[in-house]
Amino acid sequence: MSNNLLEVKNLSKSFGGLKAVSIDLLTFQKNQLTSIIGPNGAGKTTFFDLISGFQNSDSGEIFFNGKEITNIQPHKIARFGMVRTFQLTKVFDRMTVLENLLFSGSSVKNDSFLKSFLNPPTQRNYEKELQNRAYKVMEELNIKHMANSYARELSGGQKKLLELARSIINNPDVLLLDEPLAGVNPKLAEEILSLILKLSQQGITIIMVEHNIEAVMKISDRIVVLAEGSLIAEGNPSEIRSNKKVIEAYLGSENE
Amino acid sequence: MNINYKFITTLVLTVFSIYLVFALNTEGSERILLNLLTFAGIYGLSAIGLNVHFGWTGLLNFGHASFMGVGAYVTILLIPHAAGREGEFSTNGLPLIIALIVGVIAAALFGLLLGLPAIRLRGDYLAIVTIAAAEIFRLLVRDLESITGGVYGIISFSDSLQNYRPDFIDNLLTNFEFSPAQAWVGTLAWILIFVVLLLLKRLNNSPWGRALRAVREDEDAVRAMGKNAVWLKLQSFMLGAGIAGLSGVLLAFNYGSLQTTTFVPLLTFYVWAIMILGGVGSLMGPVFGSIIFWVIISETDRFAVLLFENANGQQIAGVRFVLVGLLIMFLMIFRPSGLLGKKEELLLNVK
Repeated sequence: MSNNLLEVKNLSKSFGGLKAVSIDLLTFQKNQLTSIIGPNGAGKTTFFDLISGFQNSDSGEIFFNGKEITNIQPHKIARFGMVRTFQLTKVFDRMTVLENLLFSGSSVKNDSFLKSFLNPPTQRNYEKELQNRAYKVMEELNIKHMANSYARELSGGQKKLLELARSIINNPDVLLLDEPLAGVNPKLAEEILSLILKLSQQGITIIMVEHNIEAVMKISDRIVVLAEGSLIAEGNPSEIRSNKKVIEAYLGSENE
Repeated sequence: MNINYKFITTLVLTVFSIYLVFALNTEGSERILLNLLTFAGIYGLSAIGLNVHFGWTGLLNFGHASFMGVGAYVTILLIPHAAGREGEFSTNGLPLIIALIVGVIAAALFGLLLGLPAIRLRGDYLAIVTIAAAEIFRLLVRDLESITGGVYGIISFSDSLQNYRPDFIDNLLTNFEFSPAQAWVGTLAWILIFVVLLLLKRLNNSPWGRALRAVREDEDAVRAMGKNAVWLKLQSFMLGAGIAGLSGVLLAFNYGSLQTTTFVPLLTFYVWAIMILGGVGSLMGPVFGSIIFWVIISETDRFAVLLFENANGQQIAGVRFVLVGLLIMFLMIFRPSGLLGKKEELLLNVK
């Protein structure tokens, strides 16, 4: 079997007359840290929405681990082990940080109505173990002291951390990060960046949309460049840095 | 500390409103109190169901009356009853307890039926659909005269419940001019509130309750975490609808006759007012909110007489709506989290 964890074929999505995404073939390898870059409106977030099931594509196929996941519901894709974050951080505002993590870490079976009603010892033990897991993740991400604060009391950067914590509590195979550094101060950005690198080294395949080119160049194994919905380049950071098409897309063509 | 303070304030307010009943009525105050406590129990139970929808899950349900109606009609039609203008009494019917279970399940299934197409809608769109569905239900019941008795309603069904009335209720009420039949309905309503609250407390602290709260906060994030938000919302809808169905049955027994006019949108708005007054999202809130609300409702005429001399019945009815409206306005301005709601979980900003 090939090393392709995620494979996208002939994927397209239009909004009215505007072609948001049109990709012939794009693959993502296991254990790689891939960044998707491109100018605003290049279709990066739409691409994320398509592969995570939050939007349906007009045509094309998406394979995850050899299984077709085109246009299936987002929660099913997440259960396969591909978890995403959002460009505009989505935390559960009026729940505590701990509750945020407990909910995300809890299995679907554990959440069942009947089980919750009967509250058997198995569930109580599971909850205890879950709580330990939640504290471990909070410690790792340095938000343990906020455990009992409501999520809406957190700063923007802390919310990013919480969202990240929530996404990794169940050890996903693939993590889709939509602008993990947006609106975060440089010091915290540094922290988040090293965290992402650590997660990647732990064996999580990471696909990241990010505008901070310096950061992207520093940590990515591979960079994919989108412009106007299509793939214009892919390669390792140094290849991308010297790619003429990429420079044109970002800085505008010389012969205009 | 904070919770105690809130709880004490609520208790004081509740006791004060009960005192008002005695202060404003020179005679028959016990009768008035027992009557309003019966209504408070039934409406409180309904508000507890609505709280599961709105307080826990964030579902803006404005068709609560229809869930109460489905529970009531299904149950009453299954027990011996007489329907229609010249309705003949049919002696054959199911025992009440079985009919009640079927009625509650029917209300929950009606919630599912309504939820399946509607629950993907958010916020105010769901509110529009539910209020429309509730009206469709009411008009349908009104027009299906051969089964539901239409505008003539259903009567002669109370015996199924009153046959089980324990003697002590009659003995206790010998000194009051109060119907033991209504006292029995009221007692049952408060027993059921107690039981339902115990069950909900268990669920609220469970992983399931946590999942509902997450749905209330952000559905997309719930989906991204691999949880089926639509199914969670449907479950919440069914549970709340079932509780509403239960309260609808009690309401029918309290009136002694079942009329479509009982299930007008106003019923839904009363239940909403009770929930907001008690505190959205709080377990005990609707219970106290309901008592205080019913004191206001039943004593309006006393207030109206104090305000306007020689007010007639129609004017007093007007004052009632003005007071309920003012109550909700002042709550929204000064205490949007209600009597027992948590300020941190202020829930009135619907996404």
